[in-house]
Amino acid sequence: MALFFLLQFCMPAPAQTEIARGSFESQDATPAARAFTDEAGRHVQIPANVKRIVSLAPNLTEIVFALGEGDRLAGDTDFCDYPADASKKPHVGGPVNPNLEQVVALKPDLVLATAINRRETVDALARIGVPVYATDPHSVEDMIASIEHIGKVLEAEKTAAPLAASLRERLSNLDRRISGATQRRVLFVVWTDPLISIGRGTFIADALRRAGAQSVVDASAEWPRVNLEEIVRLQPEVLVFASAHAGDTQHDIDMLRARPGWRSLEALRRGNIVIISDAINRPAPRLVEAVEQLARAFHPDSFARGGSPASRAQFAEEACTCAR
Amino acid sequence: MRPLTLKRLLWTCGALAVVLLACMVLALNLGAVPISVTDLVLNLGRVAIGQSDQLPTEYRLIVFDLRLPRILLGILVGAALSVSGASFQAMLRNPLADPFILGVSSGAAVGSILATLIAPRFTLITPLGAFLGAITTIAAVYFLGRREGELDSTTLLLGGVISASFLSAIVMFLMTALTGRDLRGTVFWLMGDLSTPIQPGLQWIFSVGLLAGIGAIYTTAADLNLLLTGEREAIHLGVDVTRVKLVVYVSASLLTGLAVSASGTIGYVGLLVPHAVRLLFGPDYRLLIPASALCGAIAIVLADTLARTVAAPTELPVGAMTAMAGAPLFIYLLRRGMR
Repeated sequence: MALFFLLQFCMPAPAQTEIARGSFESQDATPAARAFTDEAGRHVQIPANVKRIVSLAPNLTEIVFALGEGDRLAGDTDFCDYPADASKKPHVGGPVNPNLEQVVALKPDLVLATAINRRETVDALARIGVPVYATDPHSVEDMIASIEHIGKVLEAEKTAAPLAASLRERLSNLDRRISGATQRRVLFVVWTDPLISIGRGTFIADALRRAGAQSVVDASAEWPRVNLEEIVRLQPEVLVFASAHAGDTQHDIDMLRARPGWRSLEALRRGNIVIISDAINRPAPRLVEAVEQLARAFHPDSFARGGSPASRAQFAEEACTCAR
Repeated sequence: MRPLTLKRLLWTCGALAVVLLACMVLALNLGAVPISVTDLVLNLGRVAIGQSDQLPTEYRLIVFDLRLPRILLGILVGAALSVSGASFQAMLRNPLADPFILGVSSGAAVGSILATLIAPRFTLITPLGAFLGAITTIAAVYFLGRREGELDSTTLLLGGVISASFLSAIVMFLMTALTGRDLRGTVFWLMGDLSTPIQPGLQWIFSVGLLAGIGAIYTTAADLNLLLTGEREAIHLGVDVTRVKLVVYVSASLLTGLAVSASGTIGYVGLLVPHAVRLLFGPDYRLLIPASALCGAIAIVLADTLARTVAAPTELPVGAMTAMAGAPLFIYLLRRGMR
């Protein structure tokens, strides 16, 4: 028995961490490690000229591809399905419980993590000497800042800066367009059984504000479970559902119409429902597209008057993509 | 049953240690990333002669930095839960006693979540909170289980089951206070999960606490044998029952608290391993305690290897593995006991 405890003491983890960290730095002999403070406030050493990235969340995968660095992505998660090339990469499991062995086997010199990953996953990788950069977006602007941060980490500032600038420009154009419109009071439905909505500190709440709407749920929790009675009392003007498959969601909504509580919702009876693509759930460049689509759905009048015929046609086309 | 001699004790423990070592090698070899046996043996040899720097980096990271710490944690947790289960069974004179069924594990979980909520930056507080939660629960269950001054087997078990469900409700309530990353981590931890290694600074505390707990319980092994015949009988035979109770309850709570704060609530190991050991090697606590520690370690290492590999690359919680094997066996024991 003592033998095994001896074994435990023979392998002091801190010493091993040193070795591991040393080897990661020496792998690339020329470039020195660069010091970063990530969005979670962690200090992290990242080698220059990162070649093999493992992304632990779909939105991070999207950002890497949007920066034109998809080739440097060595692996991503089972849920990374956008762009199409992302699903061809080796997968390391889901974002909440990725397989650490699989991550390490891909020999990453950088792992990207975000708020949906477990702290334990990030800590475990960092402890064995794998550099992890974590983002933590709470607003649309935070998401754009994440693009710039990741651009810096990947030394892809040249693509990151114009991408961020164009996203900001689209947002300010949108802001001007809907500036006169009254805010819609909406319920964002994350889950129907039980009813789960969004808290005020989430990037989705911010995305709704940018689209000219206010969530009727004002909770400090990020994903609050909400009492349906309270929603019936508040009577939101519009219900927003996020879905990758609008058809399935339409079916679910038809089921809801028959249910007590839900059928007392004015918005549901009148069909004031917006089904938005699941890009709204991912703090990545397409989030801005989702904001634009939401704004169009909330404030059709602002888009009908003004705006050139060409852009109106373009909007119509995009709206179709959204509904499909 | 043959009388226990020192020779038999050492031979049995030695044989079990060899089995555990074999299981460790098996567990090191199996995982989401395939590794050949010859490679493993070769590389283990290299490490043994001090040439660990010659290993390929990702090989060392996977086998020695990810798998080995997890296996060692499994050994600690398995030994702790089995020994505390065995000692609860003697103290409460109830073959169905186990830290999970009596609610002690849930008590430790409540203690450790409370501790994290109160002082998230102070790492030592988690095992401390778990220990306090465990010891409070066992005291409560002990008093719930008394009827007319005597421990009543059925009342005790019911008291334990009720405490466990009450404490689980508190866990649910406390979890609403957690958000985002902490919540997701806690959900996995509650299911019984070995994938999170012990915090670097706490490894010594866990190892020393575990050895001290098992050692302290072992000093009462002869008394536990007598206690099994009944509390009054033990007193007449010269056992200092109050001292034994104090030592065993504190040590078993320490073991459960450490195990739960490291790996969450892994059920049924503390119940079934001592039973299996009793069937194989007899009821003498002087052998039962070290053999349970070793067999518990073997059981958890095997269960976790299964959890890591059956659905790879997805990992299953080890608690689900032990419960799937444990619950049917528990029912079997319960029905056999009724007859």
